[in-house]
Amino acid sequence: MIEAESLSHTSLPKGWRYLPLTALGYQMKSIIFLILAMLLAPLYAGLIIKVKAFFGGRKGSPLLIHYYTLAKLLKKGSVYSTSTTALFKLGPMVSLCAAATALMFLPVAGQSPLFSFTGDVILVLYLLGLGRFFTIAAAMDTASPFEGMGAAREAYFPIICEATLFMVVILFYTLCGELNLAAYFAGDRPLALWQTAGAPLLFVIIALFIVLLTENSRVPVDDPTTHLELTMIHEVMVLDHSGPDFAFIELGAFFKLFFYSALVTRLICPFAFHHPAADALAFLVVLGLVYVAVGITESVMARYRMDKVPQFVLTSFALAFFATVITLEFLK
Amino acid sequence: MPLFFLSLILIVSGGVFPLFLWRRFVLMKTVAVLTIGAGCLLGLSDAATKLIIDGSYSTAFRYLEPFSLSFRIDALSAFFLITIFAVCLLAVLYSFNYMDQTSNALRTAVHYLFFSLLIGAMALVVSADNLITFMLSWEIMSLSSFFLVITHFEDVENRRAGYLYLVFSQVGAMFILAAFGVMFAHSGSFEFAAAAGLPETAKILVFVLAFVGFGSKAGVFPFHAWLPHAHPAAPSHISAVMSGVMIKTGIYGIIRTYTLLDWHTPVFGNIVLIAGVASGVLGVVYALGQHDLKRLLAYSSVENIGVILIGVGIGMIGAAADQPVMAVLGFAGGLLHVLNHAIFKSLLFMGAGMVLHATGTRAIDSLGGLLKRMRITGTTFLIGSLAISGLPPLSGFVSEFLIYLAGFRGLALDRGAFALCVVAIVSLAIIGGLALACFTKVVGVVFQGEPRSRAARAAHEKGPAMLAPMIVLAAACIAIGVFPGFFLPMALKAVSALGLGYDAIPLAPFVNLTGNITKAAAVIFGMFLLILALRHILYRGKTVTRAGTWGCGFTRPTARMQYTGSSYAASILEFFRPAAPLSEDHPGILGRFPQKTHYHSRIDDIAERYQGAIIVRPVLAFFDRLGWLQHGDIHLYIGYILLAIVVLLFFV
Repeated sequence: MIEAESLSHTSLPKGWRYLPLTALGYQMKSIIFLILAMLLAPLYAGLIIKVKAFFGGRKGSPLLIHYYTLAKLLKKGSVYSTSTTALFKLGPMVSLCAAATALMFLPVAGQSPLFSFTGDVILVLYLLGLGRFFTIAAAMDTASPFEGMGAAREAYFPIICEATLFMVVILFYTLCGELNLAAYFAGDRPLALWQTAGAPLLFVIIALFIVLLTENSRVPVDDPTTHLELTMIHEVMVLDHSGPDFAFIELGAFFKLFFYSALVTRLICPFAFHHPAADALAFLVVLGLVYVAVGITESVMARYRMDKVPQFVLTSFALAFFATVITLEFLK
Repeated sequence: MPLFFLSLILIVSGGVFPLFLWRRFVLMKTVAVLTIGAGCLLGLSDAATKLIIDGSYSTAFRYLEPFSLSFRIDALSAFFLITIFAVCLLAVLYSFNYMDQTSNALRTAVHYLFFSLLIGAMALVVSADNLITFMLSWEIMSLSSFFLVITHFEDVENRRAGYLYLVFSQVGAMFILAAFGVMFAHSGSFEFAAAAGLPETAKILVFVLAFVGFGSKAGVFPFHAWLPHAHPAAPSHISAVMSGVMIKTGIYGIIRTYTLLDWHTPVFGNIVLIAGVASGVLGVVYALGQHDLKRLLAYSSVENIGVILIGVGIGMIGAAADQPVMAVLGFAGGLLHVLNHAIFKSLLFMGAGMVLHATGTRAIDSLGGLLKRMRITGTTFLIGSLAISGLPPLSGFVSEFLIYLAGFRGLALDRGAFALCVVAIVSLAIIGGLALACFTKVVGVVFQGEPRSRAARAAHEKGPAMLAPMIVLAAACIAIGVFPGFFLPMALKAVSALGLGYDAIPLAPFVNLTGNITKAAAVIFGMFLLILALRHILYRGKTVTRAGTWGCGFTRPTARMQYTGSSYAASILEFFRPAAPLSEDHPGILGRFPQKTHYHSRIDDIAERYQGAIIVRPVLAFFDRLGWLQHGDIHLYIGYILLAIVVLLFFV
């Protein structure tokens, strides 16, 4: 939970008084929502497959497909490449660890997150970077040229995404003067953002959606279902992983997708009903819509040529930038 | 005799002894390493005590009537002294196994002499208290490091690198001298303290001149061109000291000048911040484009100097806007990054030195798979790479976190400061992403995959004196990253010596901020252990087999098919093409029976390219025209002297 903006620090001299002192703390409710998020993440990812099947005129795999896949993978053993080192095994663990830890800072369904402190946004973004470092390291470990190719792209596109995300944080900070996820996404805080920023927040939603597609290797940046290694990013990096290791990677990917989708969801549905069950219901429904939107994007769009992708991702930065500029003109 | 000078005498005598002992190679090295090491240890403990108990210390010697040498160690000096002595202590230990060519015994002895002089001079630079002392120490530092750069002088590349370094350091010193000259002209005193009374226009001139001079030592873009040449030329522990510590004396100079001028104007902050952003982004872009491991690390130093300057610049803007929290966060973040960068960069240079020692090559694309054969080097290098990429829970994250917080505070200021802070935050994010790409490239291509050459296949790490410092430095990266609360107060105390007008900086709230990082690190480690345990359970009793990497159906893969560092970086560099032009040499595959072909690529440094065209060539052309003055006729030379004396008689 978040402790009120700052602990009383009247004991400090005047100039220093505004240093925020939010501390880490936790609440039972936050834990329940966190577990709920972790359990539901694979289900929602299944929703995308269903939508794509609908557009393709197929019945598609069951909604629970990802649970079955995870269970199947967890039961298996593994084959390791002779080229690999311990880093190859560390990769899936660290990427899962980073994604799971990031979820702990996420205000699921607008509830206060498990942990929150001033600057946790920075920590979370860099934590996802840590996961990326180890995913890339695990890919480079196999000595496979294909995986190297995927790794190079995985290192490239998120640079622009990070710039976008920090631009969004800059906007949010200027709106509410705080630097943690809970201050932007918990309770009816998003509503306050809408009230001060207004329409430019639409730009932010689109920017975040583009970042979501890029960071989670979805069409039009990457195609998670293709079998042509040359065109892939994330999937090609995990070609050599198998068994529980691969299950960890998949689970980490579901968590990450859930994380970004939850942020978009909170901006689309900024209301707080002040009752956990009502909040959860509204959140889960809108979250479903975001996943459906990902599925629709994937069904109606083709993947961009690799050298066009940076332009697509840069659009998100431009949107976030203009949102900031417009909002500031309003404020001043 | 105060401990500080005792430690310097120990260090320098550790450099002098080898000159008499060079015939007995091992004895010479032992004596040198032990004496210099003891001196560093003594200096380290002395500086740490001074920083902890807030004891500032000053002394003055008179030497020739008009010049007095005076020294003063305040918290800022003590902070830099700790960095200098700690890194040099480990570097000298590392040299014991690194300098192992008995055939070069005399050269090794001379190298210890200049090394000890360099350490002593750096310590004197950060403790000098007047213009004369500072300039004198600065020149000893520049010259001793010049001789260290040309340790392997038989190689023409190294001589060129040394020459370039000498030119840069002397031109830089001229700028500093000019700045000091302006100070002296206005105050008529060699004392540092007199600088505060300068008129404001003179202050701006002094700051700009000093910034150019110190910036050329620190490696600020566009004055960084010597770094990528000199660092690969020097022996690796010297590169570690030069890149980790010596270039930080430039940062010290900038901060000290700012403190001495005692004028909190946003102009200084703007200059520093913009230079920081340029160095940060371009430094890491060029680093990404390098094929030489040590050149890459040198460019990465340019990047980190940029990050430090972003922090310091935000601090200056905060001080100008009377925002104590922002100012302290910015300066403390910048200073902590000085310490952090000293630690991980020297670790990485030592790792690169070990690779060079074991394989005989610095070419990234002919290495590979070293992690399997060089476990300790590989692991410590990995930790250093994580830290330099600014990832939690390692040290680089802490300082960047503080700089981010300071930058966000700046968003509340007026429009100009707001725009600069937006630029700072976004470029820090981009720098972070690019550094991650750069160091995954190094780790992935050098230490992972399959060896790309015979030398890489036969590599073995050796030398406990080389391994131990790397382990200590890697442990320090983790310690600062997980427990920043112990190290931040050091930086905060150094900030309190800056004279920003805040009597006492309350430590608790700032330490509290980083306390959250410790807790977050605990959460990350806890989660990791949980997953580790889960993985252990899941793999119990399972069949785990080993097979070749999946080659997508191709049956005869070779190590040369792996993705190279150049191809890894190519698409990112394409994005930065205007700032990092690529020159390629590839004849192409021609005819039905193609001949053997080759591909060379090089990323050009625009600063180097334009400095050559705009500054160096016109200057050379100008002096060529004055060539007739230097005719070799001794009679006319005597005439010049006579003329000079007559002219002086008229003017003085």
